[in-house]
Amino acid sequence: MPRVLRPRAKGLALLAAAVLAAAPAGAQPRAPHLRPAETSDEGGIWALSEKAELAARQSSERNRDPALNAYVTGVVAKLAPEYQGDIRVYVMDRPFFNAQMAPNGYGEVWSGLLLRVQSEDELAFVLGHEVGHFAENHSIESFRTLKARLGATMALQFAVAAVAMGAAVNAGSTQGANDIMRAAGALNDLLYLGQLAAYFGYSRENEVEADGLGFKRAVAAGYDPAAGATLWRALIAETGASSFKRVRDQEARANIFSTHPVSADRVKALDDLAAKTPTKARATDRKAYRAVIRPHLAAWLKDDLRRRDYGQSLALIDRLAAEGEDQGLLTFYRAEAYRQRRGEGDLDLARKAYAQAGTYPDAPIAAWRSLGDLALQAGDRPAAKSAYETYLARAPQAQDRWLVEASLKKLSEGSAT
Amino acid sequence: MIRTNTIRLLAASALVMSLSACVSVTSAPAGPYKVGTAQVTLGHEWSDISAIMFARPAKVRLLSMDGPLLNRLYVTDGLAPGEFMVKPMAKERPTPTYRSGMAPTELVEFVTDSVAALDYQRVETDNLRPAKVGSADGLRFDLKAKTKEGLDISGAAQVAEVGGKLYVVLYIAPSEHYYAAELPEVETVLGSVKVG
Amino acid sequence: MSVFRSVAITACLFLAACTTTNTGLADKSPTKPASGAKILIVQPDIELGLLTVTGLQEARADWSTDARANIKRELEEAATAKSHVFRSLDPTTVEDPRALQLLRLHEAVGNSIRGFNYGLYSLPTKKSFDWTLGTGTQTLAQTYDADYALFTYGRGAYSSGGRKAAMVGAALLGVSMPMAQQYAFTSLVDLKTGKVVWFNVAVAGTDSDMRSPEGAETFAKALLKDAPL
Repeated sequence: MPRVLRPRAKGLALLAAAVLAAAPAGAQPRAPHLRPAETSDEGGIWALSEKAELAARQSSERNRDPALNAYVTGVVAKLAPEYQGDIRVYVMDRPFFNAQMAPNGYGEVWSGLLLRVQSEDELAFVLGHEVGHFAENHSIESFRTLKARLGATMALQFAVAAVAMGAAVNAGSTQGANDIMRAAGALNDLLYLGQLAAYFGYSRENEVEADGLGFKRAVAAGYDPAAGATLWRALIAETGASSFKRVRDQEARANIFSTHPVSADRVKALDDLAAKTPTKARATDRKAYRAVIRPHLAAWLKDDLRRRDYGQSLALIDRLAAEGEDQGLLTFYRAEAYRQRRGEGDLDLARKAYAQAGTYPDAPIAAWRSLGDLALQAGDRPAAKSAYETYLARAPQAQDRWLVEASLKKLSEGSAT
Repeated sequence: MIRTNTIRLLAASALVMSLSACVSVTSAPAGPYKVGTAQVTLGHEWSDISAIMFARPAKVRLLSMDGPLLNRLYVTDGLAPGEFMVKPMAKERPTPTYRSGMAPTELVEFVTDSVAALDYQRVETDNLRPAKVGSADGLRFDLKAKTKEGLDISGAAQVAEVGGKLYVVLYIAPSEHYYAAELPEVETVLGSVKVG
Repeated sequence: MSVFRSVAITACLFLAACTTTNTGLADKSPTKPASGAKILIVQPDIELGLLTVTGLQEARADWSTDARANIKRELEEAATAKSHVFRSLDPTTVEDPRALQLLRLHEAVGNSIRGFNYGLYSLPTKKSFDWTLGTGTQTLAQTYDADYALFTYGRGAYSSGGRKAAMVGAALLGVSMPMAQQYAFTSLVDLKTGKVVWFNVAVAGTDSDMRSPEGAETFAKALLKDAPL
């Protein structure tokens, strides 16, 4: 579901603090088990959301691990007991930081988010934020605001946005509309996508309010009050580590979380809230959370590298490695990032990292093959030979066995002469 | 922000559309089909849909029988280091780039990551085997992937480095009916690659 | 502004190309299903909305629901009138992986037909209307006990009040959908061979409002024009 375009006003600096200080008042939160009339605008968006939900359910990007989905659903249930049965959350394997919740209660949490939160507390904050949007009906609100505001000029702009949506039909897509057929296919549903985007085009006020609501829900469920600020800080730091100047310069508006622009004010507002909250939370358990996502860690890191923002990937891997767990796997992916980046000195760094990964029991077997390739390239024939031999011993059924054997043959012929 | 984003995206979509208004699909008859310094021999007529494909670099040509959703046969001229199969939409969204000194598995990775950059999901390789491309040693492998919508896709790819350049032939089609329907023809095409 | 203009112009081209009512036939004189043939009617995929004066499109669940029900009923009646038996399939309930693949493939084939038989381009390799899903459709035939499958895809908007939307915006919106117009595509697939034996596109006139039973009847008639049923 696209959320690429959103009108943003300038000069939002003090807004965050102001809205949070005012606390989430506003309209009444939605009643549980709500079902709007089909004739209403809300009924329309429900129908579209149901369609989007079906697409998500059948999407090839859906993560179908029952344990992981049950875990995420369980956290949502703790945060929103009153909406039990109203909210359905699907985990999608997309390497971007994103979570969303449609008015009909269908939600998505992307793997890029699960990879970046470090504890259940951080996850609870960000899911609480989404439940906040849901409970306050922000999506309907933003649609009505748009509708009310829409003059002829805005209509044009909106139409343009709808067209543009075709070119970037998915916020998480690395390529958007990559060819005319896909664009033509997308055009058929453009208006609907455009409308959904309008529904999700939360105002900055809505975002700040949702931060506060997420905080409240998470703390009420017994989670660490500091988790929200910690998470936003980590995201800001990762943006600053980007390989691309434009991403770094955007500061709080990195592409991976453009759906929820994070600013220093929002962090400060959360800090203030946490300071006022007596810490009666249990200690953040990062190890328990890691155990939940461990089965997917390798696949998600591989997906993350496909964004080819190696600066961000390396920052992320450093953060994931801080607890001292999964060192073989994480060091392997650090090596992969260096190897793929191929900047000055990167192949040396990669070679060292592959070798280091191999010292941990959880190193992927491919580490030895890549180590062999890089050692061979660097002219270190004994190291290449040893790495290739280890690789074949550990992966006798590898589909590239014949290739590695050929390299070994050349190596032994070379050393014989 | 919205404005520049919108205009940029609008320009992109306008490009797609204006492209569509003034270019056309041409016939690629049976027989030799040249892409720069590369040449393949087609066993039957194909449609050359290169002109209507977005994000396609000049060195990449695209043939199809029933349109790009149902079968695609990519044939590249020799890609020099720094070049790619899929054109990046923005500097911050780079696509896989061919580099000199890539290990064989990195060449396979270049193709699978390029397929992923075309928005196919869960791209996997299988049955990696040696191939002869003219007198050069190349690699041949099969692919499995999915469209976003969940349609299963199969593929066959062949890469070879000749004179420091990478030559790629890539065939992708839905696994249901379409892949097998053109596979015999594609095998002939893969075996016919000549370079230089 | 030249960007806008080029979009608008191409939008019109696209629009003109799409709004022609046209039937595609795999065989000029097709063998009609024998009397008593079993037709699998796939739940019509129809979305209707309200085009507001400001050019914003608002989905109307009630209209879509009504149109789906009306068109489905008309299709069923048409099948029955030709002494065929019909079965219904709601794609949202399909769990069987192979059946899902075939439905997805039909989507891709349908989009390709729309793109190349009704769009701006034609393919030199598509001289005759020989689109197919392959014989894998026999799986659908067995699973749902049917000889043919009938698919319908409809989109449209109705304008609010008398005023038309702002011109440029409308043209832009027209890229995907003629302003305040409604259209539908149908295809009939022979589940034995997988061939798309018949394909049609219809644009609704003022007398064929899918939201009303009477309008839907008129529209379905146009939609099933020349259907080899």
